[in-house]
Amino acid sequence: MSLKLTEAVVRRGAFRLAADFEIPTDGISVVFGPSGAGKSMLLAMIAGLHRLETGRVVFNGAVLEDAGARTRVGAHARGIGLVFQDARLFPHRTVRGNIAYAERRLPAARNAQIVVEIARRLEIEQLLDRPVRNLSGGERSRVALARAIVSAPEMLLLDEPFAALDGRRRRAFVTLLRDLSREQSLPMMIVTHQVEEAAELADHVVAVKAGRVIGSGAAADVMRRADFAELLDRRDAGARVDAKAVAGGQGGGVWVRADSVLLAAEEPRGISARNVWRGRVAAIVREADGAVLVSLDTDAGYISSRITPEALSDLRLEEGSTAWAVVKSHAL
Amino acid sequence: MVRAMLTPEEIQILATSLGVAGRAVLFSMPVAIAFAWALSRPKFPGKWIVDAVAHLPLVLPPVLVGYFLLLLFGVRGPFGSWLREAFGIQLAFTAEGAALATAVMAFPLMVRAIRLSFEATDRGLFEAAAVLRAGPWDRFWSMALPLAWPGVLAGAVTAFAAGLGEFGAVITFASNVEGQTQTLPLAIYSALQVPDGEETALRLAAISMTAAVTGLVLAELLQHWARRRLEA
Repeated sequence: MSLKLTEAVVRRGAFRLAADFEIPTDGISVVFGPSGAGKSMLLAMIAGLHRLETGRVVFNGAVLEDAGARTRVGAHARGIGLVFQDARLFPHRTVRGNIAYAERRLPAARNAQIVVEIARRLEIEQLLDRPVRNLSGGERSRVALARAIVSAPEMLLLDEPFAALDGRRRRAFVTLLRDLSREQSLPMMIVTHQVEEAAELADHVVAVKAGRVIGSGAAADVMRRADFAELLDRRDAGARVDAKAVAGGQGGGVWVRADSVLLAAEEPRGISARNVWRGRVAAIVREADGAVLVSLDTDAGYISSRITPEALSDLRLEEGSTAWAVVKSHAL
Repeated sequence: MVRAMLTPEEIQILATSLGVAGRAVLFSMPVAIAFAWALSRPKFPGKWIVDAVAHLPLVLPPVLVGYFLLLLFGVRGPFGSWLREAFGIQLAFTAEGAALATAVMAFPLMVRAIRLSFEATDRGLFEAAAVLRAGPWDRFWSMALPLAWPGVLAGAVTAFAAGLGEFGAVITFASNVEGQTQTLPLAIYSALQVPDGEETALRLAAISMTAAVTGLVLAELLQHWARRRLEA
């Protein structure tokens, strides 16, 4: 069971997106990359909203589109759901009407109860009879998600689902998506440009840069690659650590920013930080502005720390030497 | 109240006018929706022909439109003779004919209003419907038409108001038969042809103006409502 794109190319005006990758259709895949890289276009390509110029898309063994053979399954017949960044609720229908639109088009008749159940799960019951124009950004996101889930897709694509949410609601929504994906056995593909969200949600990662998919695979592998690091802002530089290795860690992984990691040359004692990892210095990279990025190979995986050149000489660290990485739980 | 203010003849004329304009709108609405939908789509081969056909009645002299209709739908015209033999329907010189002539003349107005409404609809909503398993026809009926409905209604009202005043095409194709094809403008014209007809003409003009202005106000209100409704 996989989603496979083979030399797939779509063009919109001057922008061209080329994708060639295969990922398993289970759990959550994150499409990661900077703004304007073509992440949304990748979702539209998979959902069937943009016609392929060349290449093919195969989903769980079925050919959805093959430009060479002129085969094309329409967006409405792919069984792939898509939650747009701007929700795109139907303005001439109430919240209930929006969700019922999806329900009425299910291939096999399903229990109407599902609308109420999903509404309860997403905490939008009290909104059901409201017109959609008065909803807040967060409410719109949840209604759009409810509508998409009710349409019972075999895979659900979500474009920046957290964009309209503030910090606390964002956290809750991340957890909700992870739970829903598991409860409904619904594979999801989520676009984000926030590396923390990517680390937390992703089982698999598809990395996109300047109109090209540059890498895909298991989150732990892709997020460790050098070309993945190049996608990040300077302040986002860091490493993905398995959530199990982190005190209070949630989800699949945690992104540990290099700026929030302290280094110690000796084992620290009697300190408040909950996360202390012993490791061997794997690499020391001097950045353009003089700061130094030190990578430690620890039991929790690679962890990097950004320190000053003075700190580096005080600690007398060099490749191969032993050091301890220290992170406050609240910094994660 | 209407009875107290208008003479039986005037009521007859008004009824003929409303009937002709009403049927004209009913005839042309489905065709206008189809044309408007086609014209609101991105470029397709032959689009300029569809566009030209839709706008032709706007630039042709109405008398010419009436004459063309006479050539096509007259008793000896290709469509006219077929309609008569197959269904026993005669259009030339009848109220139905007046409605057809009015429909053709009002067609561009209707297409324009509906097309604007289709074009104002957010295409993204169609994509959202598509990924919820709605096919192309389904999207037209469940999204495009309901969202454009206020525009369709406004187009119909504008066409109706304009239809009340159609003269050249109607008199050429359907003639000026009292009680059958004599609509308001035709009756005004007749009144002006007889001596002392000025008072009759003025009264009919007032009725005509009232009907037209009512139509315009209604259309404006509908447009306003449409804009508010489409703001999500």
